[in-house]
Amino acid sequence: MSTVRRRLTEAWGFFQLLLTHRMGVLGLSVFALFAIIALFAPFLHTVDPGKSGVVENILIPPNSQFWLGTDDLARDIWSQVIYGSRISLLIGFLATILTIFVGSLVGLISGFYGGKIEEVLMRITDFFMMLPQLPLMIVLAAVLGPSIWNIVFVVSIVSWPFAARIVRSQVLSLKERAFVEASRCIGASDSFLIFSEIMPNVVPLMFAEAVLIVTEAVYAEAVLSFLGLGDPTTVSWGMMLHFAFESGAMVKAPWWVVPPIVSIVVLILGFTFLGTAVSDVLKPGYKEKRGL
Amino acid sequence: MRTKKGLLSLLVVALLALSLVTACPAPTTTEEVEQLNATIADLEAQLAAANATIVDLEAQLAAAMGEPAEEIAYGGRLDVGFTAGEGLETLLCDSNWQYTEMGCVFWPLVYDQLWIMGPAPDYEVLPMLATSWETEDGITWTFYLREDAVFHDGVPVTAEDVAFTIENLPNADPAWAFTDIITEPGSVKVIDDYTVEFTLEQSIGTRWPAAYWAPILPKHIWEPYTDDMLSFSNDEAIGSGPYKLKEFKAAQYVWFEANEDYWGGRPYLDEVVFRTYGSEDAQYMALKSGEADMIGYLGCSAVAAEDFIGLEDMEVIVSPGIGLQWLSFNLYKDTPLQDLEVRKAIMYGIDRDRVIEMAFLGYAQTADSFIYPEVAEHNPNLPQYAYDVDLANEILDNAGYLDSDGDGMRDDLTFELLAPSDWTDELKAATLIKEQLAEIGIDISLTVLDLDTYYEYIYTPEEEEYEIAIATEEPGPHGEWMWEFCRSYEAGGEGWNTAYWANPDFDEALDAMLAEVDVEQRTAYLYEMQMLMAEDLPYGVLYRPDLINPVRTDEFEGYVETMGGISTWINPWTYFELHLK
Amino acid sequence: MPLKGFAGFATRKALAAVTTIFAIICLNFLIFRLLPGDPIRMMFRDPRVSAEQLQLMTEKFGLDKPLWGQFLAYLQALFQGDLGISFWQKRAVLEVIADRIPQTLLLVVTALTIAIILGILLGAISGWKSGTRLDTFILTASLSMYSIPAFSLGIILMLIFAFYLSIFPLGGISTPASGFTGLGYWRDVLWHMFLPTISIVFWYIGEYVLLTRSSMLDTLDQDYITTARAKGLKEFAILRNHALRNALLPVVTATGINLAFAVAGIIEVETVFSWPGIGRLVYDAVMKRDYPLLQGTFLVFAVAVVLANLVVDLIYGFIDPRIKVGKAE
Repeated sequence: MSTVRRRLTEAWGFFQLLLTHRMGVLGLSVFALFAIIALFAPFLHTVDPGKSGVVENILIPPNSQFWLGTDDLARDIWSQVIYGSRISLLIGFLATILTIFVGSLVGLISGFYGGKIEEVLMRITDFFMMLPQLPLMIVLAAVLGPSIWNIVFVVSIVSWPFAARIVRSQVLSLKERAFVEASRCIGASDSFLIFSEIMPNVVPLMFAEAVLIVTEAVYAEAVLSFLGLGDPTTVSWGMMLHFAFESGAMVKAPWWVVPPIVSIVVLILGFTFLGTAVSDVLKPGYKEKRGL
Repeated sequence: MRTKKGLLSLLVVALLALSLVTACPAPTTTEEVEQLNATIADLEAQLAAANATIVDLEAQLAAAMGEPAEEIAYGGRLDVGFTAGEGLETLLCDSNWQYTEMGCVFWPLVYDQLWIMGPAPDYEVLPMLATSWETEDGITWTFYLREDAVFHDGVPVTAEDVAFTIENLPNADPAWAFTDIITEPGSVKVIDDYTVEFTLEQSIGTRWPAAYWAPILPKHIWEPYTDDMLSFSNDEAIGSGPYKLKEFKAAQYVWFEANEDYWGGRPYLDEVVFRTYGSEDAQYMALKSGEADMIGYLGCSAVAAEDFIGLEDMEVIVSPGIGLQWLSFNLYKDTPLQDLEVRKAIMYGIDRDRVIEMAFLGYAQTADSFIYPEVAEHNPNLPQYAYDVDLANEILDNAGYLDSDGDGMRDDLTFELLAPSDWTDELKAATLIKEQLAEIGIDISLTVLDLDTYYEYIYTPEEEEYEIAIATEEPGPHGEWMWEFCRSYEAGGEGWNTAYWANPDFDEALDAMLAEVDVEQRTAYLYEMQMLMAEDLPYGVLYRPDLINPVRTDEFEGYVETMGGISTWINPWTYFELHLK
Repeated sequence: MPLKGFAGFATRKALAAVTTIFAIICLNFLIFRLLPGDPIRMMFRDPRVSAEQLQLMTEKFGLDKPLWGQFLAYLQALFQGDLGISFWQKRAVLEVIADRIPQTLLLVVTALTIAIILGILLGAISGWKSGTRLDTFILTASLSMYSIPAFSLGIILMLIFAFYLSIFPLGGISTPASGFTGLGYWRDVLWHMFLPTISIVFWYIGEYVLLTRSSMLDTLDQDYITTARAKGLKEFAILRNHALRNALLPVVTATGINLAFAVAGIIEVETVFSWPGIGRLVYDAVMKRDYPLLQGTFLVFAVAVVLANLVVDLIYGFIDPRIKVGKAE
């Protein structure tokens, strides 16, 4: 109980620290904005985003009924943008979880055990880091077929090595510290050490990494869908762009192109700001610099 | 075109002269002579009148053909837009000449064919490199060639070239399928310099001659590459067609110039340029700015059409489409789709008018057969399955498909509808069909796959990878090959028959039709085949999207329209007939 | 016996690169075996293909052998520079790719040069003036540019400058069938290059600004700068002679790593502007599901990145002797 409370206090402290960083505030606001939009999508003047309308409403500019106009099946762009945020955030969070899971596992194991295991694991990690990301994502998405689950998988494949590296280096430095040595002496098991002593200290760093993975995921969804590797049955920002680009109505209906682009950019920018803020805050001496 | 007109007037004059001669018995008395003189004067007057009529008819004919009576000016450069992914990357003689949009318009300009299918409305068989041909049984064919055709490098076209092409073209690229020049080994014979004879593996009937849509290649250039024709880069693309290749830049453009030495007289245009554009939008912008004069394949989308209507120096030509769209039902897989009543209900449950209105903004026609309604062999008495929700519900209720849990969807009637991801129109249609079938309690889930996996799935129904698929093809007026989609597996339809349909009556009619030499009897077979398909519904033919071609009219006139628009694999005529204003 | 000195360092690096390339080859081979269905059947969209023809093609593409045999054949072919035959273009993949390389290099080298020069300049200013409004502005702007995916920036630039204003062309590398030669041709190419180059520059510049800035901040903390300042040297002289020179080293390293990243921008921008380079080829290969070609482009990209990294490592090791020791352990 007390550990939970301690962690919560720490987290709260970290959050407050973030609020002292201008980019942190901006990033958190963007995140909050999209989280609210995604959660309350049905209440935000939306209709079923995949449902076709009537012929008179095909490709009409923004008006009081369709706030952002309609597409070539008279579907409401506003609703598509709103519901699209769900897909982007969903892909972002699932990819983050998968990446962090795999990355931490590899990082922890190699950092903790060292030796041959570490060497092999780090070779693999380096190898994956070396691969050009977008071509790898394209190749995998093309082979696996169009679905958002595959996008999650593909993003994780290219992101986990970075997480693994960070976790490993953190584990290496923590391993040498006194409290781990002490626990060892009193006969604590490996798993106990990993989960109670090392993990909690790695979490803040992983948070910074997670934020970046979300941007990677949003970007991947957008670019893969744009390249025609997305799933046309889901309403997402990337698919909106793809359809607009393919339909030849882009010039005629800029309201079809601009909202998804703005959403993608704002979300990525927000998370990039947040990531910058988190790594700034985590730097030793941040508090002192700010005079906190 | 001009030769045809000349023939016509000659014929009229000859007939008149003939009537004069036969109307005159030998004169015997002066009275008779006077009478005859009067008759002659009378006839002369009639002849003068007839001559005037001929001139008049000629003018009318010329007007009807879009040609001014006076001399047509030569010159001008026609710029034609294509979508980037559909451009030519090489000049190899490969299946891209059949399957890419630019490829299938490219080669008919540079290469001649033995015969060519004429323009609308008759789509008649016209001589090209061959002046005539003979066959008794549709198996052994003799072609007689014209003697004045010359390849672009000056070498005359002879029977040797034709024989070489017939023998080797089907093996050039296995992905490019030829069905009517698969010959018995060793049967291709050069009879003399301008006569060639060959025997096919099986009869193709006599409605259409052999070697349809096959480019005649120069033997003296291709002979060293007989074993592997794809190893020849064909950079100069030497053919005998009305245009010569001037410059080719992979993935960017193809530049043609008029062939001054063409046997049929040089084309009116000096140059034609096929240019690629990265997106539909770029293509439309280029048309509006005058950078391009027309779109090279399948025209523009319905949504874009209205932007071109009423523009100065532009005209929007709307033609009946060449593509048909239908639903293919997998009858192999054990689903309620095997029940004809369910297939019927699905057809009644689809509001085709709304699909046409929404997905094509009205630019499409409903269709009921693999044969287009304007083609003579189309059976006009087919069941229409007009939209009727009540009837559809009644059929399903009577067949025992009920909604027992009250969720609005009938039990067991849950199907996957397969569509490829890059066909935007079909995707739109699929979305609408899904919504409409929900109204009659059929729960459709949309599965979207890349094109190749899609084809792989539908062409192997026995793998049970799909249930319903939205499908499309361009049968063209020739169209015989489309019926292979209906041939049962037992009768050799494997790999074609996406529905896994098996109907012995149909197979029998199909084989009889293919071998039939009598045109009327052939039509009767086709009527029967269409009816069997429409009644048994392995495929539910839905509609046929129109072709919308925005063209520039500031410089040129004489765009030739056929089904599928002004420029398709069946229509190179625009490039032959278009000229300066 | 451990190798010593630069030669040893270089050998180790080269060996590591070779191992990586071999691993890439294996991965590349394996990924494409994950494909559902029969790739040969997929090649034929037309059902009018006989069983013999299918068999013929299967043999031609070597798919009739068992997996292990296929892998060996694949390796053997690779060593002979044979990347297979493109399903779509029916000719050697290597040839198809080679045709596209000059156009891509033209675009990338131009864009990267501009991005690096501008990026370093802005980053240095930002780091030097750290904490000022100018710094905040440059920092925020770089982060923003870095966040806009290159393809969406491309679309927006294209909409504004090509569609609405018609100042720049709608895509491509040159005006089709223009007959331009010499200077006229190159002017035409430059005009076509403008928007794609800007899109790539915009995307990369942020990366270099951030790198140079942080490296600059680190350098400025060093003792010798403080000494230089104490000696009363002019600010600009310090910037030019001491700070910038030292701050550039990490930027050089980053250029190699960034190439992996640069590839993404090439694919996106070439697609939007239908620039006939390798990036557009990837898109077309995807659209056509031309797996040998896709496999080939992936291999070329991956190997290019590994080699670029090797070169950067070697240059870096050559310049800075400390690295050899550091990396050798």
